[in-house]
Amino acid sequence: MSTNKSSSYNNRLGLKGWMYAGRYSFERYLYLGHRLSGLGLIAYMVLHIVETANRIRGEEAWAGLMALFASPPFRVIEYLLFVMAIFHALNGVRLILVELGFFLGKPQEPVYPYKSSIMKHRPLTYIIMLLAFVVMVLGSSSLFFE
Amino acid sequence: MRETRLWSLHILVIPIIAVLLGMHFALMHYAPVFYDVSVDEAREFSTMIERGKSMTQFVVYTLLLIAGLYHGLYGLRGILRELPLTPTLVKVVDIGILIFGLMIFALGMYVTWWTFNAPLGG
Amino acid sequence: MADTKQITFRVRRFDPDTDSAPHWDSYTLNVPDGMTVLEALHQIKAEKEPTLAWRSSCRMGVCGSCGMFINDLPMLACQTQVLHLNADAVTVAPLPNYPNVKDLVPNLEPLIEKHAAIKPFIIHPNSKEVDEPTGEFIQSAEEREAFSQFTYCIKCGLCLSACPTVATDPLFLGPQALAQAYRYTADNRDCGLKERLVALDAFHGPYQCHMAGACSQACPKGVDPAFGIQLLKRTLVLDSIGFGNKPKHVAKVMPLADVVKQIEEFAPPPRTVK
Repeated sequence: MSTNKSSSYNNRLGLKGWMYAGRYSFERYLYLGHRLSGLGLIAYMVLHIVETANRIRGEEAWAGLMALFASPPFRVIEYLLFVMAIFHALNGVRLILVELGFFLGKPQEPVYPYKSSIMKHRPLTYIIMLLAFVVMVLGSSSLFFE
Repeated sequence: MRETRLWSLHILVIPIIAVLLGMHFALMHYAPVFYDVSVDEAREFSTMIERGKSMTQFVVYTLLLIAGLYHGLYGLRGILRELPLTPTLVKVVDIGILIFGLMIFALGMYVTWWTFNAPLGG
Repeated sequence: MADTKQITFRVRRFDPDTDSAPHWDSYTLNVPDGMTVLEALHQIKAEKEPTLAWRSSCRMGVCGSCGMFINDLPMLACQTQVLHLNADAVTVAPLPNYPNVKDLVPNLEPLIEKHAAIKPFIIHPNSKEVDEPTGEFIQSAEEREAFSQFTYCIKCGLCLSACPTVATDPLFLGPQALAQAYRYTADNRDCGLKERLVALDAFHGPYQCHMAGACSQACPKGVDPAFGIQLLKRTLVLDSIGFGNKPKHVAKVMPLADVVKQIEEFAPPPRTVK
């Protein structure tokens, strides 16, 4: 029996499968957050290099730019960037450790109820998220600088 | 070993970014907390030029530029290449990102070098 | 009659001969405690919709045939009790990320092709010994446990349905193949890492796994493919700096005569029934 591929329906989830974490575990949402924060950060980094290159236009141009960034909407954006960077960095620490096989226990005969590597490193995930939250709260002080 | 080496480098630059970006944050965004100086003062033109003339600053910014661009653009390349691309588009993504990275690196290095050589006062 | 609950099943239908796209049909059943989704499908086919098509076999969670997307998670239909889903409406769809042949039947060829790509067999320096054995490969219990977990894979394909990378990247090897690549790499009878590198060190290999962990969540046999992939990354990184899979560490052969002698040394306990 051969399947006639041309008449079968393409059931690939595509970008929806990438972006929609649905009923999967917390770590799947962290994967999504890590990707989105990464994209935001690289976009910001490129913009930042281009924007700080304005210094070669002289002191007045620079001062104008800095005055814009000191305004309240930009201070909020700056803090949101900080939040993205902290999340990406701390979740990244978890990923470095886990993707090199640490904190996942040792291979062993699976005995029901199975404990996946996701559950095995859950305590690490919680610690990292708590640390990220603390740093983000402390970092919110930048919204109140004179 | 190519993909393994590219990925390993992506991981190895992380401590460089963590330390240098942390320093950059402390200096530029949290100056009142770490340096007892207002944010406006830290970003003032003359302060920026004076700071930029130190060899340490030159080296720090160069390293941060290389590490940050490599890490970020490797990640972007991964995200784009995970889409269903034709072989031509695959080449476009790989070469395009490389060229884009080199261009941004060149711009960043030019600005860093310009600051290093700028006369005091701008 | 035992306690039953009325459950509505929304089943995705697709007939390649008449449909250009799938549609949903609903069936309502009185579901008793303990009824599995597979049993519900059988009842629907017997009483309401004789043309409903799906794949199943052992009905006890060992063959891997009945993988389906049930209430937005990939599961084995025979291992999923309807009332344990805690929902009045149960959606049953074919496994995503595989071409849909008909109704609930996925075309699992992508799974098989990716599995074949990583050479899922022992590669021993003495290939003649593998094909025509003269003895037994020596493997201690500890050496076995280093990869045993990953041998439980039943090739059900749920992991590729769960994986976010497989969702967008048709060339990604997927959790099943990558975990099996580790299974063979970690096996002390195997020294084939170099041969597998063609597939593993390419772009669509293990580095496109970003530890979303959905595959391990979906796996019905506790294989934990995400774990296998991270261990594979560690192995590949170590190999790239010179700590690889070397032939001299590969299992030696114990001649058959010695194997027989070892078996004879383990005498059974004395009879207790005269």
